Amino acid sequence: MTMTPQEVQEHFMTYLEATECSVIEKSSEHVTVKLSPQADKMLTNRPYYWGFVERTGAPAETLSFTFVFDPTKYDEALAKQQKNSASPAGQGQDPVLSRYYGTAPLLPVLGPGRIQREDVTYGSSRLAQIWNAAREEGKCVYLFQQPSAPAAQRGRSTAYEQWLGVCFKVEFSCDLKREELHFLGISMSSRAIIEHFPAVLEGRELHPRLPERVHVKPAVLTLTEAAALLEDYLIEKLSRLDYGWAAQARERLKQELAVIDGYYEDLLKEEDEEKKALIAEQYENRKSEMQWQYEPKVSLSAITSGLFHLCSPVSASS
Amino acid sequence: MNNRPAEPVGSHPDNRLPVPIHRDRSWLEDLESRLDKGGPWGDWRLSKLAVEGEKARLVTSFEELQCLKHIGDLSPLPHQTDTARRVLFEMSGRAILADEVGLGKTIEAGLILKEYMVRGLVSKVLILVPASLVLQWVRELNSKFGIPAVAQKKMYSWENDIVVASMDTAKRDPHSEILLNREYDMLIIDEAHKLKNKKTSNYKFIEKLRKKYCLLLTATPVQNDLSELFNLITLLKPGQLGGQGQFAANFVVDKRKPKNQDQLKDELSKVMIRNRRGESDVAFTKRTVRNVGLNLSPDEQALYDGVTSFVKDQYQAAGGNLSSMLSLVTLQREVCSSRDAVFVTLVNLSKKLPEDSPLRDKIWELVYLIKNIKANTKAEKTIELIREMNEKVIVFTEYRATQEYLLNYFRDHGLISVPYRGGMNRGKKDWMMDLFRGRAQVMIATEAGGEGINLQFCHHMINFDLPWNPMRVEQRIGRVHRLGQTNDVKIFNLSTSGTIEEHILNLLHEKINMFEMVIGGLDVILERYEKKESIEKSLYKIMLESGNDDEIRQRLHSLGDSLEHIRRDLEQQNISEPLREEEA
Repeated sequence: MTMTPQEVQEHFMTYLEATECSVIEKSSEHVTVKLSPQADKMLTNRPYYWGFVERTGAPAETLSFTFVFDPTKYDEALAKQQKNSASPAGQGQDPVLSRYYGTAPLLPVLGPGRIQREDVTYGSSRLAQIWNAAREEGKCVYLFQQPSAPAAQRGRSTAYEQWLGVCFKVEFSCDLKREELHFLGISMSSRAIIEHFPAVLEGRELHPRLPERVHVKPAVLTLTEAAALLEDYLIEKLSRLDYGWAAQARERLKQELAVIDGYYEDLLKEEDEEKKALIAEQYENRKSEMQWQYEPKVSLSAITSGLFHLCSPVSASS
Repeated sequence: MNNRPAEPVGSHPDNRLPVPIHRDRSWLEDLESRLDKGGPWGDWRLSKLAVEGEKARLVTSFEELQCLKHIGDLSPLPHQTDTARRVLFEMSGRAILADEVGLGKTIEAGLILKEYMVRGLVSKVLILVPASLVLQWVRELNSKFGIPAVAQKKMYSWENDIVVASMDTAKRDPHSEILLNREYDMLIIDEAHKLKNKKTSNYKFIEKLRKKYCLLLTATPVQNDLSELFNLITLLKPGQLGGQGQFAANFVVDKRKPKNQDQLKDELSKVMIRNRRGESDVAFTKRTVRNVGLNLSPDEQALYDGVTSFVKDQYQAAGGNLSSMLSLVTLQREVCSSRDAVFVTLVNLSKKLPEDSPLRDKIWELVYLIKNIKANTKAEKTIELIREMNEKVIVFTEYRATQEYLLNYFRDHGLISVPYRGGMNRGKKDWMMDLFRGRAQVMIATEAGGEGINLQFCHHMINFDLPWNPMRVEQRIGRVHRLGQTNDVKIFNLSTSGTIEEHILNLLHEKINMFEMVIGGLDVILERYEKKESIEKSLYKIMLESGNDDEIRQRLHSLGDSLEHIRRDLEQQNISEPLREEEA
């Protein structure tokens, strides 16, 4: 898939807001923002600076950026703006410098006050960095559903069910690769498994604090057991997929191995023991390179995981 | 299903799947430890964003090129994306990219690398290129593909994920030991025809490197001998063409002449892609060449004659000892360029002589002749041409002094021009390019080779004087006549009649037909010619040894013939024919 400038901007704004950055200016094409210390540490790759700040207690000065999501439109808007406000004697000229050197460009502002422009579109490394930072900071959550009615109106305590939710990433790889995401949830008290967990979470307001007058049903599963059940469920599901790709990759590997077997068979007739050993080593290396390149495998990892405390009953859609 | 007993934790094969499964359980440990400590817990908005981000870059298909969406501004040409597809999906990432010069092998390699990186199949990459191209590769990968490649500078540079280095550095100790102890998801080698000989240290080094995917880039996979091709392929996929003996028996008649061409073509097409200019979708614009003949002014002619007889005298005095004389021919060439150029050389020459040498007087006589010259015929003509075309133009000269002269001369005549030369640092070069793109009408360059001058926005070129090496002429033209040029390219060659310049232009133009010929063939022809002697040296010899103009003409004629002969030879032997698997 790819993303429109608006979608990219939404992703950016989510990150900037969640990390409490202060937005200086915003249009549909761009946002100018002063990063919060948290975001600055994740995005600007200045470990020495932050080390210095932390050791000396010096007041931290975070960087500011203008992120442009739709460069063409932004430039057009910028040009229009400049045209309207341009004075004939060359906008942005330093009067003293230009007297001596003719038209001289305005010296770039360096230091903390400087705002760097950066174009961000789908595929740019800054966007990937935002996602990676979000994953780093959001990979483990512990949340409670906020009750719809205030505690006082609800009478007796509401029963909450604890769910383990995990967004798994499945990678099918050989010399090529394909991926799937599976966001599963399992109830710690009833062992019920929900295949599309975000659908359950949808519409529930989640908050890190335990609300008043609720109680959590006792868990019958340990975390490890719950995790194993989820994995097991997922693997069961994966086992029903087509593994033609793996068979094909093994076929490719077999053919390649046959080719080098033929090639080295002759070479290994070498009389000189020393040379022969070298050839044999090369042969082994080449074979293991091929295994590395073609051998099909599946790997399972998690993007995020967390414990969700939801108002029961949860309507399991699966 | 819910009541299935919990499985033991760990990573092991699962018999329900036909392939091994690896489970990364680090998330569980993380979750447990945070539960123990009561946090810290992540922000739910960020958690959702992480999942959204993962969805947005999920590789949902084995066989669909992902990289195109990730490279923003760059829009590769159809033959480049086709090549990337074939390497990924038909060749499993081990291939020789053998496009003819100018079709964008670097772009193809970048696409393939980017695709593997997007798919998460490649993270450690080693890119080996000639030293002069290291920075260019780094820049292109970063700016065009967003691939964070770095140039190898210090030992710790090897720690980076994506390193560009020169082959000469990499194969040397202590670097080679470090590299041989690692494994690279991808190895890319530019100018891979240098790996044609099995016995060289380069070859042995590459053979030992542990790599998963591998791209070899070369415009000339075969230069002299079919076994070169065999060696190159053996690096990638040993046995693809059988063993050495089988290969010789099946495919080789004579070392330059293949047999069973169809079968060879077939085998080659499994490991090599060669796009050709004629066949690709790339529409190169036309080149038109105008030779502008000029007559030297009487004063200039007097200097030329003076220098010529000086050179001849010296040559005879030295008893025909060639090597020390070669630089003297330069004097003659310089007179044809500008008095400034010849002046500098003469002064340097006299400085090297002992105080009392009689030669000093002779040199000073020549210097007096220089003083008489008040105007530069070529420079006047150049201004006239530039005013006529009234567009951006690049002027090439061989000499620094001429460059300086022209800068001043143009400025005095109200033309804005910028210099460009090899010795400038990167920043200055970029600056000069920007000035030329923007305000200056003229760029005066002494250097065409090397990296980074791509002037597609300009389609006029004046050769103020000509290099004697045809490849360098081609490099000059290549600066403007390249991918992305949308106009026909106009080339003007200035030549002064009755001088050695006229002879050389005659050779390049009439004989080699250099200016219309597309590159690709030329380097092969030259390499074969230069097995005997470099072409520049041949030319110098002819100029020195010949008694008169007729003799020069004759000897140049026969040199042209032998080049022509090589070319016909190449065509006849069809040496490149089996490589043309794109045909049919």
